[in-house]
Amino acid sequence: MFNRSRRNLAHWFTLSMGSILVIFAGTLYYQETLQQLGVIDSLLYKKARIIAGNIQYKLYQGKKRAILKNVPLLGNNPPSPDSEIIYARWYDAEGKLKRFFGVPPQEQLSKTAEFQTIKTTYNSGSSTSKVIWLRQLTLPVQHQGKLIGYLQMAMPMTRAQESLNRFLLLLILTVLMALAATSLMGWFLGGLAMLPIRDSYEQLQRFTANASHELRAPLAAILSNAQVGLLAPGDQDAAKHLRLEKIVAVAKSMNTLIGNLLFLARRVGCLAPESLKQIDLSDLLKELIESQTTQTVAQHLNFNCDLLPQEIVVKADPELLYQAVMNLVSNACKYTPADGLVELRLFIDCHRAVIQVEDSGIGIPAADLPHIFERFYQVDKQRQSSVGGFGLGLAIAQQIVLAHGGNLSVKSKLGQGSMFQIELPL
Amino acid sequence: MRILLVEDDVAQLEPLQTALSQAGHIVDGVEDGAIAKWVICQRDYDLLILDWMLPEISGLDLCRQYRQAGKTAPVLMLTAKDTTLDKVTGLDAGADDYLVKPTDVFELLARVRALGRRSPLWQGETLQIADLQLHLSTLIVERGQATVELSAREFQLLEYLMRHPHQVLSRDQIEQALWEWGSEPESNATTTLVRRLRQRLQVVGAADWIETVYGIGYRINPEASKKLHP
Repeated sequence: MFNRSRRNLAHWFTLSMGSILVIFAGTLYYQETLQQLGVIDSLLYKKARIIAGNIQYKLYQGKKRAILKNVPLLGNNPPSPDSEIIYARWYDAEGKLKRFFGVPPQEQLSKTAEFQTIKTTYNSGSSTSKVIWLRQLTLPVQHQGKLIGYLQMAMPMTRAQESLNRFLLLLILTVLMALAATSLMGWFLGGLAMLPIRDSYEQLQRFTANASHELRAPLAAILSNAQVGLLAPGDQDAAKHLRLEKIVAVAKSMNTLIGNLLFLARRVGCLAPESLKQIDLSDLLKELIESQTTQTVAQHLNFNCDLLPQEIVVKADPELLYQAVMNLVSNACKYTPADGLVELRLFIDCHRAVIQVEDSGIGIPAADLPHIFERFYQVDKQRQSSVGGFGLGLAIAQQIVLAHGGNLSVKSKLGQGSMFQIELPL
Repeated sequence: MRILLVEDDVAQLEPLQTALSQAGHIVDGVEDGAIAKWVICQRDYDLLILDWMLPEISGLDLCRQYRQAGKTAPVLMLTAKDTTLDKVTGLDAGADDYLVKPTDVFELLARVRALGRRSPLWQGETLQIADLQLHLSTLIVERGQATVELSAREFQLLEYLMRHPHQVLSRDQIEQALWEWGSEPESNATTTLVRRLRQRLQVVGAADWIETVYGIGYRINPEASKKLHP
């Protein structure tokens, strides 16, 4: 049970810390990408400005034109070997291609004034061609406030990509290592967190074991002494006999009370998964009905049951669930006068198995309804003492149903009867 | 049956011992695990009833050691430890039955009878020699139409004699078999008990069946009456 909780804690810790780490690493990568792009863009822009600065705009054959003769790349000068520029293009103000260097372009400029990332196939001279990413800048060039054309240039992003890839690899490795460390830390912290819970659980177990022993030892002595008194041969004193029988009855009832209290103390919280089994509720209730028939006959009660013929399988501790339903049925029988009706139903409603125990008994006053699942709560002391019980049966039933992840509810009308309903997840 | 009852709480030991004795068993009551361990080595028992939590050695360890020594008599754990795990541990340690305190004495007696039936010495609910029958659960002697009820002590003597038919049993043997561990029977206790049993058996006409073998002891012999009244 504790190892399962510890594993759960470690899982959730790793998952939450892992998510934070991944988001953090993603943000870092995004920032780095932006920065790298910024560096390329500013470089590209600077080069474009230099080239644009060399463009002359003057009268040529009676018309004002852009003269590109002395412009690097586009002019007559050969490009420097370390220029890194894949291509440079000059479009006139209408977007028509006038001159270019490098990769042959489209005749018409399709976009104006922006940075663009382009995927392209690049022939590196030999027969092999490779896909590379380019950063392209289209720069409108003006002369004295008038647009004279567009300069389009591109440079490869290979170096930035390589740097980004290296950074990504580093991030992935770091995140993986951090995740491994986090899960180990989660397991360790889970163990630490479990310590006080385990201590208190063990303390509770010790307490209930001691309480069980200390309470039952004197009770055992009372019971056996009284019964040996009953066994004594030749003792025909009826009054003495009656008193001994009373002592035996009280001792047995005390034993039931101690058993119920220890049950409530021991089974706090959820059930251990190893105690849960796949059980068919129809079978469980049929077994219960068989054991109940004699009691209802003895009390002159009509007992009806309406169970679905099909299997209704839930994951539960069969003994505990049996006890919960049994408590409700016994309760219904207790508070239903002779010739009354007790009904047990089983059906499926909204993906939940529903067990209903309805009686035509004396009912519960509305003011008491919210309290009837409280421990030791008794609706009417007088009424309770006439049928026996300590007011723990319903509390036990509720604790069992809650431990199975279900819900126990009640509807009742004074004088007309009550209906208890157990809902269990399928 | 000869039963060893180990229980550290005298308030529980005493009534259980009384109830078992009244049911016709010979009961050695011990309050301590270490003493119980020693007693088990000294004597053979038909049944052991062990409390779990005992001083010195726990009932669980006693049960384990008893089984490891190769002894086969049934063991009944009688304890306040009531969780399923406790019951599994107790039964796995070698116990044949497990009862949670407080126990209904009538249930305990029934369990003891049930465990007795599993003993290799079990000869049925009734012991018989010639036409004399001894009903073990009711302590009643029956012969023909006549019946007589015996006290626990008388029953124990007759049971012992009937389990060893035609065998001469010395006073020492009878004392050892019938009196509890550590008790000192008076010198004429066996004689008195035999006399009482003979008186009871008179009702069914079998008083002479218990033969006195002078200087040695007693034996049960249906032929003895024929010798006296040929």
